[in-house]
Amino acid sequence: MKNKYQRPILLAASILLPLATWAQAPAAPVNQDFWANTIGVITMTVAAVVIVGALLAVAQLFSSVVKMQEIQMLREKGIEEVVESYRQPEQSWWSKFYKSMTQAVPVAQEADIDLGHDYDGIRELDNKLPPWWLGMFYLSIVFAVIYLFAFHLSDIGKSPREEYENDMKVAKAEVNAYLATVADAVDENNVVALTDPQEISMGASIFSANCASCHGQKGEGGVGPNMTDDYWLHGGGIKNVFHTITNGVPDKGMIAWGEQLRASDIQRVASFLLTLRGTNPPNPKAPQGTIYNPDEAAVTDTTAVATPAAADTTATGK
Amino acid sequence: MTQVEQFHYDNAIVKKFAYATMLWGLVGMLVGLWVALELVFPALNLEKPWLTFGRIRPLHTNAVIFAFVGNGIFMGVYYSLQRLMKARMFSDMLSNIHFWGWQLIIVSAALTLPLGYTTSGEYAELTWPIDLAITLVWVVFGINMFGTIIKRREEHLYVAVWFYIATWITVAVLHIVRNLEIPTSGLHSYGIFAGVQEALVQWWYGHNAVAFFLTTPYLGLMYYFLPKAANRPVFSYRLSIVHFWALIFIYIWAGPHHLLYTSLPDWAQSLGMVFSLMLIAPSWGGMLNGLLTLRGAWDRVREDPILKFMVVAVTAYGMSTFEGPMMSIKSFNAITHYSDWTIGHVHVGALGWNGMLTFGVMYWLLPRIFDTKLHSVKLANVHFWLGTLGIIFYAIPMYWSGITQNLMWRAFTPDGFLVYPNFLETVTQIIPMYAIRAVGGALFISGVVVGIYNLIKTVSSGRLIANELAEAPALPTKHVAEGKEHWHRWIERKPVQMLIGSLIVVLIGGMVELFPMWWVDDNVPKIASVHPYTPLELQGRDLFVREGCVGCHSQMVRPFRFETERYGEYSKSGEFIYDRPFLWGSKRTGPDLAREGVGKLKKADSWHYAHLYDPRSISPGSIMPAYSWLTKNDLDTSTTAAKIKVLRQLGTPYDSDYELTANEDLAKQAAGIVKRINEEKPDLGLPEDADKKEIIAIIAYLQRLGVDITVQDQAGNQ
Repeated sequence: MKNKYQRPILLAASILLPLATWAQAPAAPVNQDFWANTIGVITMTVAAVVIVGALLAVAQLFSSVVKMQEIQMLREKGIEEVVESYRQPEQSWWSKFYKSMTQAVPVAQEADIDLGHDYDGIRELDNKLPPWWLGMFYLSIVFAVIYLFAFHLSDIGKSPREEYENDMKVAKAEVNAYLATVADAVDENNVVALTDPQEISMGASIFSANCASCHGQKGEGGVGPNMTDDYWLHGGGIKNVFHTITNGVPDKGMIAWGEQLRASDIQRVASFLLTLRGTNPPNPKAPQGTIYNPDEAAVTDTTAVATPAAADTTATGK
Repeated sequence: MTQVEQFHYDNAIVKKFAYATMLWGLVGMLVGLWVALELVFPALNLEKPWLTFGRIRPLHTNAVIFAFVGNGIFMGVYYSLQRLMKARMFSDMLSNIHFWGWQLIIVSAALTLPLGYTTSGEYAELTWPIDLAITLVWVVFGINMFGTIIKRREEHLYVAVWFYIATWITVAVLHIVRNLEIPTSGLHSYGIFAGVQEALVQWWYGHNAVAFFLTTPYLGLMYYFLPKAANRPVFSYRLSIVHFWALIFIYIWAGPHHLLYTSLPDWAQSLGMVFSLMLIAPSWGGMLNGLLTLRGAWDRVREDPILKFMVVAVTAYGMSTFEGPMMSIKSFNAITHYSDWTIGHVHVGALGWNGMLTFGVMYWLLPRIFDTKLHSVKLANVHFWLGTLGIIFYAIPMYWSGITQNLMWRAFTPDGFLVYPNFLETVTQIIPMYAIRAVGGALFISGVVVGIYNLIKTVSSGRLIANELAEAPALPTKHVAEGKEHWHRWIERKPVQMLIGSLIVVLIGGMVELFPMWWVDDNVPKIASVHPYTPLELQGRDLFVREGCVGCHSQMVRPFRFETERYGEYSKSGEFIYDRPFLWGSKRTGPDLAREGVGKLKKADSWHYAHLYDPRSISPGSIMPAYSWLTKNDLDTSTTAAKIKVLRQLGTPYDSDYELTANEDLAKQAAGIVKRINEEKPDLGLPEDADKKEIIAIIAYLQRLGVDITVQDQAGNQ
């Protein structure tokens, strides 16, 4: 009987498997794509087989229901017809295949395989392990062996770290290729304030999505400084503002948005900011920094003006 | 031949466990509905500490696992074991100690978890005194079970009993190893494992809590109650043998699939993945043996609600044990992990497999021990359909939301920016799914209410047969083989060998994975710039644990472009060596916090203050609870010394006697933070004694996150 060997093989295989992982091979992948694809194909194949298995299970259940009804019906009509139905001469390849995959003894003949066990009235049959199920089990073990070999004993599989580095390289190349095709070359040296109302309104929505939580919905200030007065901590004017937004002021909690917003968007939001000057929103934060006079295009240092802590007497509190 | 003996089954204990199952099931599911609604309407947190999501989500999981399913297990085991052993339970007193002890544990969990006493390991949240109580009650259960098995009148152990034995021994091992901890006070402790080691222990435990608390005992129940209810022989004895041993052997290895792409060493991740895949067949063995046992009874499934409950339960078991291995495939896990997919997955198992089987069993068993008939078959059918629809309305929105959110996380523009750089956008997108999920949960619960009503009516129409007369011949003193026996029959006559056999089988996987992690230093490469937490950060971290922040915020950046772009450098195992408990998390309802204190995620102290006080004032649309009490509660610094001492004992390199001066450093750091906040945002109006408040400690901790590894980057010493 085949069954004698099944369990020992299953156990031995699953015990031996983990040994494979002790060796961690440094990877110097050759033919990466070919092998990566192969692993992918194997994964997909296993998944496909498993899904087919699932469908088979459903089919089997369905057919048992049908069979039951058949037998019930035939029982009423007499045993001769049952016998006749089993004598049906030709079986389709499918029904042969199906039978070979399930090998379940029909309910009508289950007395032959009753083991005689009786646990509080529960009896047990001696049906064979369904071959499709067993096949799935073996297949998963084979997959495990191949996988562990590929990723731990050979250079075929890549570690997550290597995959990551590769992904980053690919992404960088793609982004560069894309950027080469677009002329979006704004930087802090050539940036100019936009005046197109559509651009300004795009800047406004970028502001409310990203900046308003610290600088207030109307730019009145909050955790971050007031955007509507004439005072600037890091310089006013499109170039300075563009620079501050792009590089942030990490010590004070201002985020370097250059990592999250594209240059043209920073230009839009900076241009929007400049339009806020003198809008006098409610609950303004006290001025911080120095007056920046855009007309003079140079910083006028009025060091004595800013006394933020003392100036705010209208603290709303909580 | 042997004399036929008369004896009585104890049904009173079965009744008690059945009532407890209903009560805690309802409570646990209602808490679940509440937390689900909190995600849709954050105002439902009511700014009550004990009602916030972070604290009562663990209450929900513990209640449904250990209170609902736990009592369900004991109900089924106490009913079936007596009958399979043809013997009354070993000791009525132990049965009652077991029952009342377990309920006491549940009540103490229901009190301590909302009050914030937690160790934060999933399904192992309870504090050390409760851990001890669980150990004691579990031993009582074991003695009672084995006492019954030893004095049995049935020569062989039926497959259900194999599962009960494996359950008992494995849960004992898991519980003890997971909860090795040193107390710092009456309700607080630090675990002996830290960081990546603790992570592996946690998911070795956590995954096998699913395996050996939610699965194997319920397979045992299935093997008894399904053939009984269907009145059909079990399909295949051989299949029982193979799938039992294979299941318990393979299950124990699969834990690392909760840690794919984390800082866990690659070899452990691979083992977790392949063993999870190999689990399909053994799991399906159980499903097949259940469904194929119904061959010849399918016509009755249409009419008998009990069989319907069982069929859906076994089918849900088959579905989730197929889904689980698929989710363990690394490339698929990259999508499902940290997302709602996982939540959908566990609820197919919990609502479908455990929930439906529990009620199927109760509908079958309660009329029997009360010598009556089910009050209403119609209501049972109503319950069945409400339950089934509830599962569908629960699971589908979760799959949908999981995929949606993950696709949003990983979307890049052609010029290399995240399409949704603001995490909040990916949350507000899925809130409608959360609403539908709550509807699904409500449907399931309304089914449960109908079911409980039906069972109460059933019970009140009958009378409990507290002691049910039974008879069986005494156990033969010598085994007489009838013809040629299957080799496995031997161990079925030897309960002790069965116990030891299953212990050995489950220990192998655990040892191969855990021992190298504990004792081979190479598995956690040290990082020179990683330092212990300052006393203030340490206290803040424990507050982070108390509030259950880890329920929504992971601290584990995986090596994916879309994660490093959003959060920063991916996490390394060496970063976590002083983390007790580890806080990697398993779900991101909010953004990852591993790099919260550095780089582009770094925020001002005043931002954190205002955000914790009222998240929606800073991020409109956020569903995070408001933690206003952190600004009012004084930080308890009396615990600092004990914590530092215990941590030093565990290997954290605090200077000797540092505990004597630690609180001075703590006060200094707190004062600095308050000063900064006052400078940044004077209008927050901090109170005079703001530096004594809990919120300052949490801010200190949040600002520390990610700092160590960044220091290293700047110094350039790889």
